[in-house]
Amino acid sequence: MGGIHPVVVIWLVLAGPVWAAIGAWGLPRVYRRKGLDDSQARLVGGLGGLTLGPLLVAPLWYFTPELERWYWGGGPGILAALELYTLFAALDPDNLCVTNASYVANQVSNGLIIGFIYALMAVGLTLIYSVQGVISFCHGQFYMLGGYVSYYLLQLVWDVNPIVGVPVAGLVTMLLGFVFERLFLRPMHLGRIERAGEYAILITFGFGFFLQYTVLAAVGPFSQKADPYLGLGSFRLGPLNLIPNRLVAAAIGIVLIGALLYILNHTWLGRALRAVSMDKQAAAVVGVNPLTMNTLAFGIGTMLAGMSGAALIPVFTWVPWVGAPAATRSYVIIVLGGMGSVPGALLGGLIIGLVEALGAGCYPDPSKGAAYKTAFGLVIFAMMLLLRPTGLFGREL
Amino acid sequence: MSKKLLNLLLVVVMLAVLVPTALAAPPAQEEGQDYIVVADDWLSKLADKYLGNPYAYPAITHYTNQKHAEDDSYAKITDSNLIEVGWKIYIPSAAEAKAYLEAPTVKTVATGEDTIKIGGVGPLSAPGSVVGGIAMKFAMELAVKDINEAGGVLGKPVELIFADTEGLPERGAAIAERLITENKVVAITGEYHSAVGLAELEVCHEYGIPCLFSETWSDKITESGYPEVFRIAPASSMTSRAVVDWLAKVGVKRVQLIAETTDFGIGMAETQKKLLEGMGVEVLDTIFIEMGTEDFTAILTRIQAIDPPPDVVSAEAVTGETSYNLEQQMAELGIAPTEKTIGIANQVAVQPEFWESVPNGNYFVFTHVGLPPTLFNETTNKVADAYRAEFDTEPPSYALEAYDSLWILADAIERAGTTEPKALINALEDTDIVLAQGRYWFKYTSKNPLPTDGSVPAYMWHQWPDPAVLVLQYFEPNQPGMEAAVVWPEVYQTHGTPYIVPGTKP
Repeated sequence: MGGIHPVVVIWLVLAGPVWAAIGAWGLPRVYRRKGLDDSQARLVGGLGGLTLGPLLVAPLWYFTPELERWYWGGGPGILAALELYTLFAALDPDNLCVTNASYVANQVSNGLIIGFIYALMAVGLTLIYSVQGVISFCHGQFYMLGGYVSYYLLQLVWDVNPIVGVPVAGLVTMLLGFVFERLFLRPMHLGRIERAGEYAILITFGFGFFLQYTVLAAVGPFSQKADPYLGLGSFRLGPLNLIPNRLVAAAIGIVLIGALLYILNHTWLGRALRAVSMDKQAAAVVGVNPLTMNTLAFGIGTMLAGMSGAALIPVFTWVPWVGAPAATRSYVIIVLGGMGSVPGALLGGLIIGLVEALGAGCYPDPSKGAAYKTAFGLVIFAMMLLLRPTGLFGREL
Repeated sequence: MSKKLLNLLLVVVMLAVLVPTALAAPPAQEEGQDYIVVADDWLSKLADKYLGNPYAYPAITHYTNQKHAEDDSYAKITDSNLIEVGWKIYIPSAAEAKAYLEAPTVKTVATGEDTIKIGGVGPLSAPGSVVGGIAMKFAMELAVKDINEAGGVLGKPVELIFADTEGLPERGAAIAERLITENKVVAITGEYHSAVGLAELEVCHEYGIPCLFSETWSDKITESGYPEVFRIAPASSMTSRAVVDWLAKVGVKRVQLIAETTDFGIGMAETQKKLLEGMGVEVLDTIFIEMGTEDFTAILTRIQAIDPPPDVVSAEAVTGETSYNLEQQMAELGIAPTEKTIGIANQVAVQPEFWESVPNGNYFVFTHVGLPPTLFNETTNKVADAYRAEFDTEPPSYALEAYDSLWILADAIERAGTTEPKALINALEDTDIVLAQGRYWFKYTSKNPLPTDGSVPAYMWHQWPDPAVLVLQYFEPNQPGMEAAVVWPEVYQTHGTPYIVPGTKP
């Protein structure tokens, strides 16, 4: 590439990383000096600096308006994405992501579909964290177990659509989750365990190993997969090349997340769960037993993990160690979306799905794009931790 | 959370800093002494205190037991991890301990043992290929049973000590070291992953113990040129050669490669690219993917946008369940195999679970190492029957190789008349024995060195020159792997055609 492209020069002068650093570093200080709420200042300053440079940072610095999260964060956020895309197009004009609209549409639709699938794995984890305050390190293994429960059920009962396995797997993993919580986590909530935080990590980690190797001993190391939901192959919808099997899995994800959101927001149980997650003592005062809610939350969390496993065993090949990478991705998603937030996990899943698809699809060197797939998601993750450590929907600390 | 992580990190850092300094303080005693065990003692602590080296504890065990034989006021230590308060033990002088610890290991290996110990290595847990490790362990145990039923070796039974390498090079090196120094094995055999094998062979070389690799394909294994290293699996270049020759015969022009980011995948992709380009075939790109990736739609959509479509999309250099996910998505999205594009799958496609994981997998082409069933001999059939009875699937080449590797070692020990490593290596070089995969021999050895002019590739050192590499193709859904059409090499062709166009029958 001869010299630097003029678009890059203009962008670097007018906006770009330097102004982003100035905005992210300086604005929170200005807000704090004036005694104003500075919680959004770093995010807005960083994104605003990146997109409009002094044009946005300077007035904010001077007028310090009240920053509402979605309005001030979302606008520059979308603008930043558009600007980066323009920049990318200017630097690599022959890239498929610039020249071929139907290619971009395909990548986006694939990214969104896999995003719903990712989100389904993550919501259970975030629910457990929000109520229990512990991160379950055996979440991936419950996910794996759910897949196997569904698989063996379908082996026993012939000629049934694999969708039937989803509720059954949910039931089994929920009961197992109840038992595990009652036996191993409740003593922690009753204050019988010293160093409860470390205990929770170790006991869930250990139980995860137990599940994984028990399943390995029981089913063997050979890979397995359930029959597809709907036919095989792919079909075309306008420019899109879609795999029906995945669409069903994504639809199951949407339905389950929708049901969970409904329960959390519109039923007594959901209100009780949210109350415990906000303040255990206050919840107890108004007649909600936090211990019961802990058990319920863990059980619902493991049920969601099991159901997502059952939803995906017709899509991906299953082995007893399939849970570990899925769980790792879920941790990234819930931190991105805000620990303990269900809508956050949904949005986080969609973002990771999209970023991975577009990253792998648009990275200029195709031989590396696929290998860096996970890394693209982690870049977004790292930026989020820098600009907004509580995540998209996180509670303020 | 972050504070706890920080604490954890601190502990790790402190351990890393403090442990070496603790080791570097040796107040070694001049003379041996009796010692009464008190609470909170353990042998390596005493070894550290009196001998200046925690790893010298076997010397305490040894001398205490020696004293016990003469005078039973001394305790008898049967397990170095278990001592009781009040026991009288003997802590040798630094000189005595040194003499014991530095006694040649060969001596302890060769005589006085009631079994001949052989170390087996392979992955039994993720991230290693568990399927591979379990199959190899089964086959090795079967071989040990058969060898012992046939009278053992040098009049003693063979004992297999199989250790899990988890597919991690650092684990492999540690395990090889443990097998050699602690278990006193006379040879190591097995291994599935090239990267792990490359770590293990350095340990074998360091201790001078023979290492017979049964399933690591990377050229670098035998390219090491170490006298201790032998291999009975094909080198990666040998299998690549078969596929490339076949592609040349079919007459393809443009090839898209997909490979995993491991020693095996990168090595295979590089060799194929070089060979293909040498024959004037264009290699579009080699796409590298991480092991364990489930969703490949992004990268496959990218391949789908190539216009005109490539003649071949090859997933041969991707292993395990990752390859199944990739192949199914390739077929599902209509990329390969199609009328225009040949689809090449990894060699695990021969397994029956291929059809469950890749229901769209008809017309995939794959390589298979080993003889076609028509050429099975008595041993092959025996091992195959036992394998089917246990796993209900056809024995993969790595199971047959693992079985054979134990017999090759047993045969060499018998001919050498000793387990002394040099004599054993010498005997291995003279191997000439017919087993489950055919007749084993090593062409380039210390007696027939590799020509120095480079006319023979370096990986032929201590390499079995004749593994059969077949190219197979499915032509019916749910077809058993061994019934797929052999399309290459021509001498083994079953349907008289080098390629079955998707949608047709041979």
